[in-house]
Amino acid sequence: MALGLVASAAWAADKAPVALIIAQGGLGDQSYNDLADKGFKKALGETKLEGKEVESKDVVAQGENMLRRAADGGFGLIVDLEYSHGDAVKTVAKDYPKVDFSILNLVEPGANVASVLFKEQEGSYLAGALAAMVASDPKIKGIGPKPIIGVIGGTKSAGIDKFIAGYIQGAHDVDPKVEVKVAYSNNFGDPAIGHQMAKAMFDEGASIVYQVAGGTGIGVIQAAKETGHYAIGVDTDQDALAKGHVLTSMIKRTDLAVETVIKDYAEDKFPGGQTVTLGLKEDGVGLSPMTYTKDLIPAADLAKIDEMKKKIIAGEIKVWDVTSQGYPSWWPK
Amino acid sequence: MSAAATAGVVRSPRRDWTALVDALAPFAVALIVGAILLAATGRNPFDVYGLMAREGFGGAGRLEATLTAATPILFTAIATAVSFRAGIFNVGVEGVFYLGGMAGAVVGFTLTSFPSPLLIVVELAAGALIGGLWLAAPALLRARLQVDEVVSTLMLNFIAANLTLYLVNGPFLAPGSANSATPMIVEAGWLPRIAPPSTLTLGFVIALILLALYALWDRLTPLGFEARLNGLNPRFSRAIGIDAPRLILKVMILSGAIGGLAGSAHALGVTHRFVVGFSPGYGWTGLAVALMGRNSAVGMLIGAIVFGALDSAGTTVQLFSDIPLEIVDVLQGVVTIFAVVRFGRLRGRRSAR
Repeated sequence: MALGLVASAAWAADKAPVALIIAQGGLGDQSYNDLADKGFKKALGETKLEGKEVESKDVVAQGENMLRRAADGGFGLIVDLEYSHGDAVKTVAKDYPKVDFSILNLVEPGANVASVLFKEQEGSYLAGALAAMVASDPKIKGIGPKPIIGVIGGTKSAGIDKFIAGYIQGAHDVDPKVEVKVAYSNNFGDPAIGHQMAKAMFDEGASIVYQVAGGTGIGVIQAAKETGHYAIGVDTDQDALAKGHVLTSMIKRTDLAVETVIKDYAEDKFPGGQTVTLGLKEDGVGLSPMTYTKDLIPAADLAKIDEMKKKIIAGEIKVWDVTSQGYPSWWPK
Repeated sequence: MSAAATAGVVRSPRRDWTALVDALAPFAVALIVGAILLAATGRNPFDVYGLMAREGFGGAGRLEATLTAATPILFTAIATAVSFRAGIFNVGVEGVFYLGGMAGAVVGFTLTSFPSPLLIVVELAAGALIGGLWLAAPALLRARLQVDEVVSTLMLNFIAANLTLYLVNGPFLAPGSANSATPMIVEAGWLPRIAPPSTLTLGFVIALILLALYALWDRLTPLGFEARLNGLNPRFSRAIGIDAPRLILKVMILSGAIGGLAGSAHALGVTHRFVVGFSPGYGWTGLAVALMGRNSAVGMLIGAIVFGALDSAGTTVQLFSDIPLEIVDVLQGVVTIFAVVRFGRLRGRRSAR
């Protein structure tokens, strides 16, 4: 049995093992953690490194304990998925300069810390563009007479408005006359609120609502299904949650992020001290394959989305980033 | 007759001994149940427990991690015991833990020009104040209108949790954050670590002092004595002239203040901000520990350390084995169930009056 320090003999082989600290919600969330864990397992399989996932019921308060124990327990790379551990990663990384650390969705200082960010605005741009095209085509089932789309954010903050700005920009680049309704649920975990807010938007004439609100957004998808309209999912491929009523999902490839960091570590190319940014170019964000909706959407629209994607990658289209550029002049008042 | 002498009549040294046994018995049963479970899933229980013991208590670093995890539980256990002692079944500590944490964090990122010791005192006081005020409401409802405090304090927990959730996603959200967290408390407002680099802070020392004060309160003060009499026999305590409504109010405010202090100490010492996931249920764990320890200081200290060890070791043990978190959850669950056996007895006595 691989118990205790017995296992350290096996680890000594090449590189020290990798620990993955699971965020709130835990494994089995069919979302953020599970996706990251998929990348973790894949990377371990390919690099032949040893590794352990660590969960806690008290993720927030156990942060520093987990990081410290992993660092002095012989682990060489610690990947932390929990956003509230930013400060703990910074502190522990300073005390263990020989151990590599990686944190997602945050930037923390330290020569042995690799921060991974996503260009959510780029994926959201494509989502907004697609929504605007589909909402302007009343021939499509479930689309109302006026070109109105909506977005529901979990909270009013730069981190969420980064998605929303990209979505609005994408929609208005397709057609400036498309109306984009913006609302905030002030909650990431209550589907009932999301359901209510989305229903209100659909009642006001919106045909498609993008959710950037975690668990609250599940209610948005439900409302789309009940009213016969469309939702747009976020973070993972949520298209199957209401087949045919989730137009697409804006996927953040946390699996790719974890996989990349571990492989770089295995090949002695760990990007310590750097901020790795994953966008459309790196396939770090993007739209889902639209398994259940691609037959509904005119092929010309899908071709146009592909073209836009290429232009963003080539730098011909610049998508606004609220977190680094502040709010644009066209931000809705 | 002095209060001390009276206390001696009501409480014999033998009760201390049974309190100790009571506190440890659920844990012993949990170990046996856990061993059966481990064996059934093809693991050697002795190996697993050995590793758990190493992660929980093996060396200064591990012990400090355990005590860090035990700190909020010890606080909430004391807060709960204060009211249980008086026969008041207040389950509102979980709610005031949230509120105290939010209050401490808000003070800590707002009054940034305050010097360190003063800022810490104001932060802690803010937590205690809000906690005391919060539980004054159900105390008044109980004292004046006979509203059952189990129901009112339970409901208030939901209100407190949702109120802080609204605040952390709305007015007090850190600028630029995509996630639900307040700005960081300035470093001057953090509780200092007593054995760096370990995470053990002054919060643990405060909890220990509070525990000692609780023991003194329980045995030596008139309020503590009145509370115990009321808890043992409310009709008798009324007959000898104890003003029950006043007593309930005082005890609930005290309980709320300690619960609020627990929350602010946790924010100042561990999380350094208020963030979603602030409490994994410390109020409930504290309640279980108060029941396990029969409201005795020694019993609660042991109970809190046991739960702290399960929390800390149960997490780090995953780094060195293939024990899933679920096994640790089962251990915690079984300990709690056997602690709740005490709950049944307490409730029985309560409804019999």
